[in-house]
Amino acid sequence: MSEELVDAIADMRDEEAVELAGRLLEQGTPPLEVLEDCRKAMAIVGQRFEAEEYFIPELILAGETLRAISEIVKPRLSGTDGAAKNGKIVLGTVAGDIHDIGKDIVSFMLDVNGFEVFDLGVDVPPETFVAKVREVHPEVVALSGFLTLSFDAMRDTVDALEEAGLRGGVKIMIGGGTVDENVRAYARADAYGDTAADAVKLAKSWTGVKVR
Amino acid sequence: MTSGIAATPGLATDAGKSPERLLAERTARLEDAFALRKPDRVPIIMPASYFLAGWGGVSNQRLAEDDDIRQRILEDAALHFQPDSIIGVFNDPRAPLALGDRMTKFPGHGQSENGPFQFVEHEFMTPEDYGPFLKDPADWSIRVYLPRAFAKLEGLAALPPLGMAAFGTYNLMNLGGFRKPAIADALRALLAAAEGQAAADAWNAASAERLAELGFPQPPLVGSLIEAPFDFMSDTLRGMRGVMTDMLRRPELLLEAEQRVLDIQLEHAIAFNRATGLRSAFIPLHRGSDGFMSIAQFERFYWPQLREMQLRLIDAGITPVCFYEGVWNKRLDYIADLPRGKTIGWFQRSDIFAVKEVAGKTLCIMGGMPNTLLQAGTPEEVRDRTREVCQRVGAGGGFVMATGIGEMEGCRPDLVETWVQATREFGAV
Repeated sequence: MSEELVDAIADMRDEEAVELAGRLLEQGTPPLEVLEDCRKAMAIVGQRFEAEEYFIPELILAGETLRAISEIVKPRLSGTDGAAKNGKIVLGTVAGDIHDIGKDIVSFMLDVNGFEVFDLGVDVPPETFVAKVREVHPEVVALSGFLTLSFDAMRDTVDALEEAGLRGGVKIMIGGGTVDENVRAYARADAYGDTAADAVKLAKSWTGVKVR
Repeated sequence: MTSGIAATPGLATDAGKSPERLLAERTARLEDAFALRKPDRVPIIMPASYFLAGWGGVSNQRLAEDDDIRQRILEDAALHFQPDSIIGVFNDPRAPLALGDRMTKFPGHGQSENGPFQFVEHEFMTPEDYGPFLKDPADWSIRVYLPRAFAKLEGLAALPPLGMAAFGTYNLMNLGGFRKPAIADALRALLAAAEGQAAADAWNAASAERLAELGFPQPPLVGSLIEAPFDFMSDTLRGMRGVMTDMLRRPELLLEAEQRVLDIQLEHAIAFNRATGLRSAFIPLHRGSDGFMSIAQFERFYWPQLREMQLRLIDAGITPVCFYEGVWNKRLDYIADLPRGKTIGWFQRSDIFAVKEVAGKTLCIMGGMPNTLLQAGTPEEVRDRTREVCQRVGAGGGFVMATGIGEMEGCRPDLVETWVQATREFGAV
């Protein structure tokens, strides 16, 4: 492990981190080891975000650093990253709504906490959620929405999972700008969260991962 | 003319009053609240927007595009619900559609006729654009930004440097280039957009006049529209991802650009308000709320510029009306530090009771009713919430009841009725 690389990523020295990753690979460090350092660094970034030392600027910059390093690592990878995951989560912003900020933060935080996240993007119709759930059998479905109109789309999505006979197999969390307990009851979801940290806590409790 | 009140039960206190008298009473009620005085009862503003489509039985698109229908439904809703002021659809599609606006989506255009208005963020300005932008914002905006942001203005990219206009008669030799089809098309699109916007302005003026005849004053956010300098850089230029990386990668450039757009917007707002006689500037805030940036970042990139903006507006006799989107619970002390009685704050999801406690002596507070409750609550819950907010936030004045968001689409009409009536009942505090 390169502590120097982990620190550079986690401390927001992005240019230095990318340069360092390139040098490590040149020197013969196995690509998977560089990726593992990235994972460790991202976990630190996630912890600092939860502790409110870091905010969205740091999450975005860390994400960009990771992307830049992945680009130089990928050509050198033969197999796949076989790290075991905590559980599967299907995530998306519901139909009619194109807001992605909150969803992306939740996706990031779930990912750095060891979940396999299937991010369906924005304006996702109920049938797309149903198809993905049928395909990957996730433990958790996470619905995001910012517009007031998204409450209906959330309810429609929950209904669609119910009609497809998939509701019993998943826990459903919802979140976004105006979501609260009223909306949770309205959409008949299992829980709602105000923050990305809430999403992680819910996912961990539902999949039996020990909550820190 | 009748006031229309007789049609609605439960509003006995205003029954039989003439529209002229209602207009005067409502205006005084709102003015008292804005000035932190105690009104006769808590005023209520209904930011109805696309709620009017469902309520009036037309599509969102029809509501946005049919001037007569829009006015009829707006008047019907005002008379039916009897708020102290009502806001209809905020964004007019005429100019954006005429220009092929890439940052907005309107009902029936790229989405279903009942889809909502949405703002689509892009990174129209790249990091490399900071140099040209800071050197000459107007030239960069017209020749680089507009062609990127509006499909029908792509031709403007072919214009010569705008500063050459100062070369007087010698520059006329460059005019031949303006006949290029791309430039001519762009100029025609601009003219069409100007005509569309002029029609929208005329509708707005006539609509306000008509509502006043019926007894309803204009809401306080009618005035110039500007943004916190950070949000200006974020929303229409760099995009949130871009501006947030700028905070870490090129902070000095971002700060310099914020100062430029602060000055440009103030020059605009002061001239606009002088020309129209309107007295407020509406400032919807987007990225300064809890969660987006740290307090240290807020103190460097967001608040000083927004504070300066508000102070300079106040000096010019203009009332800043900030929409504090999201949650500002950890930033209320900054708000409390603004000049007393000179600004209005509309709060979306902040703890409205904490806002009252910390900043209630500083500014008039608007908000208090979560949209979710009017959409998915029960009449009892709506009454309970209204009572608590009226009693605790309305105490001593300086409060205007409103929904947290300026969009009531999806709210249940019966719950809206309950809410308005409960505000009358419990608002006399």
